[in-house]
Amino acid sequence: MERDSHQEGEAQGVNICDPPNESNPSADTLATSLSLLGNHMFPDPVEKNDCSTGKDDPAQSLLSGVKAEEQHLDAEPRPNQVANMETEETACSNSSECQNNTSTQPANGGTEDAAINNDQSDSGEFVVTMLAKAKLEEQGLGVKGRSSPLLEAGTQESPAFMSHREEDVTADSWRQHRKHVFVLSEAGKPIYSRYGSEEALSSTMGVMMALVSFVQSGDNIIRSVYSEQHTVVFLQKGPLVLVCVSSSRQSEQQLRGELLYVYYQIISMLTQASISRIFEHKKNYDLRRLLAGSEKILDGLLNLVDSDPSFLLVAVHCLPLASSLRDSISQILQKAITPNLVFSILIAKNQLLTIVQEKTVIEDTRLEPSDVHLLLNLIGASSAFQAGEIWTPICLPLFNPDCYFYAYISYLDPPECTVCLLLLSTDKEAFYAVAECKRKIEEAMVAQNSLSLIAKAQSYSVSQVGVSDLRHFMYKPFDVPDNYRQLSQFTSPEMEAPYSSEEEKMRLLDLYRYMHSRIHSTSRPLKLIYHVAERETLLAWVTSKFELYTCFSPLVTKACAITAITKLLRWIKKEEDRLFIRYPPKYSTTPNPSKSSRSGKSDQQDSTDNGFLSLL
Amino acid sequence: MPEVSKLRKPDVKIVLLGDMNVGKTSLLHRYTERRFKDTVSTVGGAFFLKQWGPYNISIWDTAGREQFHGLGSMYCRGAAAVILTYDVTNWQSLAELEERFLSLTDTANHDCIYAVVGNKADLTDPKAQVHQDSDSVSEEGPRTESQVLSACPTPPASPVSLSGLMLHKQVTHEDAVALYGRLLRYKGLDEKASLPADKMCFETSAKTGYNVDTLFETLFDLVLPSILRKRNENKESPTVDLEDCRGTGKKTRSSCC
Repeated sequence: MERDSHQEGEAQGVNICDPPNESNPSADTLATSLSLLGNHMFPDPVEKNDCSTGKDDPAQSLLSGVKAEEQHLDAEPRPNQVANMETEETACSNSSECQNNTSTQPANGGTEDAAINNDQSDSGEFVVTMLAKAKLEEQGLGVKGRSSPLLEAGTQESPAFMSHREEDVTADSWRQHRKHVFVLSEAGKPIYSRYGSEEALSSTMGVMMALVSFVQSGDNIIRSVYSEQHTVVFLQKGPLVLVCVSSSRQSEQQLRGELLYVYYQIISMLTQASISRIFEHKKNYDLRRLLAGSEKILDGLLNLVDSDPSFLLVAVHCLPLASSLRDSISQILQKAITPNLVFSILIAKNQLLTIVQEKTVIEDTRLEPSDVHLLLNLIGASSAFQAGEIWTPICLPLFNPDCYFYAYISYLDPPECTVCLLLLSTDKEAFYAVAECKRKIEEAMVAQNSLSLIAKAQSYSVSQVGVSDLRHFMYKPFDVPDNYRQLSQFTSPEMEAPYSSEEEKMRLLDLYRYMHSRIHSTSRPLKLIYHVAERETLLAWVTSKFELYTCFSPLVTKACAITAITKLLRWIKKEEDRLFIRYPPKYSTTPNPSKSSRSGKSDQQDSTDNGFLSLL
Repeated sequence: MPEVSKLRKPDVKIVLLGDMNVGKTSLLHRYTERRFKDTVSTVGGAFFLKQWGPYNISIWDTAGREQFHGLGSMYCRGAAAVILTYDVTNWQSLAELEERFLSLTDTANHDCIYAVVGNKADLTDPKAQVHQDSDSVSEEGPRTESQVLSACPTPPASPVSLSGLMLHKQVTHEDAVALYGRLLRYKGLDEKASLPADKMCFETSAKTGYNVDTLFETLFDLVLPSILRKRNENKESPTVDLEDCRGTGKKTRSSCC
């Protein structure tokens, strides 16, 4: 009832053109297309749509920022005491005001809204056709899905064998996933869905694309849609459109950051240049043809993004190790080189152990943490058959989105497979030469007994810091001017009781994500935030030197927490050499220094002859 | 794999080619590890060194995904044998061999031998369902292809093979023999002078192990002359250069700073 009247209100708010399609009289406005999407995505009827569009319009981003904030406040008991100039109260009154506005009018009022309305009348017909088509398809599909006895039997009999890809997209359980991610092409072709098969979702993705192009036709960019339960975030990158539908209460910025990781992972497999080339040539190309088999890598990435704070902090977590041992291992890597080798990376227990870089490469640029995350994810996703030596092209999107490196991946300790060597070369043919480097490294490590020493290394417990009431922390030092080229890193102890179960870990991470979103809010960034939550107290602090997130037991006082942080910082300073890679060593493998530099010509060559030309 | 073998130089190179999800990695895994397990889609190519008697045989297990097509010719360079793999329940996988993979073998040795292998025979053929090595029966898990289902035309096999139902065999032995004939013509080889199709077309099951050992052992026997010839060549020059098998064009690269 309530929903009906609301929909009517919405329709009145934006409806401007005659319904040209009799069979689908309802699918004629942006508002209904939102609820159409909503019907499919959200378990409850969408009661309130807040469509925030616009190109960095400060007023609007403020509105959406404030709104997200209020949702957080609703969810939590409310004892937030922010040690900052700004007060929560004013923000709240503001946001409730604009809430009243937006609940009756989906597009925020103002001059820009008028502009959208005008454009809508021009492109209305197009959208109507698109949506009507999508809706019809969806109905057809839905009926087909329900009436198929095979599908139902399969679902009931063996849920254990069901992968995410086989999920029934009409089921409630599908809608209730915490975070959906969809990738589609500009032509509206499905490329990837985190849950459920892309085919079954083609109409839903069609609606998403309709939303994107509808707003685009008004010379605008759709950024997000808010409902009470969900945040829908859109990201357009070249010919790809990425959409996240999340009930995780993360900020729009964070969700967009996660979509960017998904985009980069796709780029890491295909390169930006070849994706653009493919779509330039054929707009409705089915990119799944090239990504087939890579779904696991994207699935793995999304699981990591949810469970590993390194993605949130955009920093690499390295394994704590005595600096003398780390140095000796780095030296081993430094000696085992061959022409065109640019990075030698050693990973233990999925954490970075050391990284040695080619000199000239580093003069040009530095390795970005996001690229390391993508590499780690690739290794994790391809580790099923660990006895062999893998040789594969890989692009580091932040380093250079258009060219390939060739990655040699091999485990040094079969059959345990915890220590992984990753050598990156710019030469496609260098496998045997690079494999020879691995032999040298292996021999030297056997001679120095490095493997058993690495096996003893492990993450540390927060109790080692010796600060009572401190339960967990994440510390990310910033670049200091003299080592600007260094990889961003962070350190963090194991998550221990009470955060040992998966649910509790996730809860703590969600709290950190909340703190992070407050600190990095575009409209009102904070420097220090003291947050009393239900079962713990958190303090986040960002300075020009570091970013710190701490979690204390709930009974800690503010003064106590400040003292504890002072002690913690002192401890980190003392342990710095063990916790971080301080001075990453370098080597020189290129006789011709210009050759392997960023966007080097040799790399470009490699990317073009990697088979994609044959497609075109 | 024993540590020592890794330090040895490979004597000969064998490459596994074929569309994705036909079971290349599973075949190799069945042969080397004696069991069948779930694998994830191969990334790029994986290099294995198999000790066979006194010889070291290098095997390249390549990714069937189109994404990695560009690297195919690199894996094939200097190969002494190429195993072209298809899925007996999927006609397209045989067609792909001709369309996509045949041209990759251009970089293989001119005397390279070819085997055409139809995998997943257990899905269509009762005699391929008998487990070959008794030691592995207990380890068999239900065959799950969940990770590949969206792209794989083969339906999940566990209920089918358990109930004794057979899938429709889309590719017959004769189709494979015909492909082998076309392959020889493509290579410009004389059918009479080459190895007979009967000997070089196999139907295997990585799941049960059916014919897997036969396939690899037959190939190893056949590449033996090529191993011996290479060893003789190496006797003349006392230093063994790993780059040898990739032709002489790369010699200049090995001079490093």
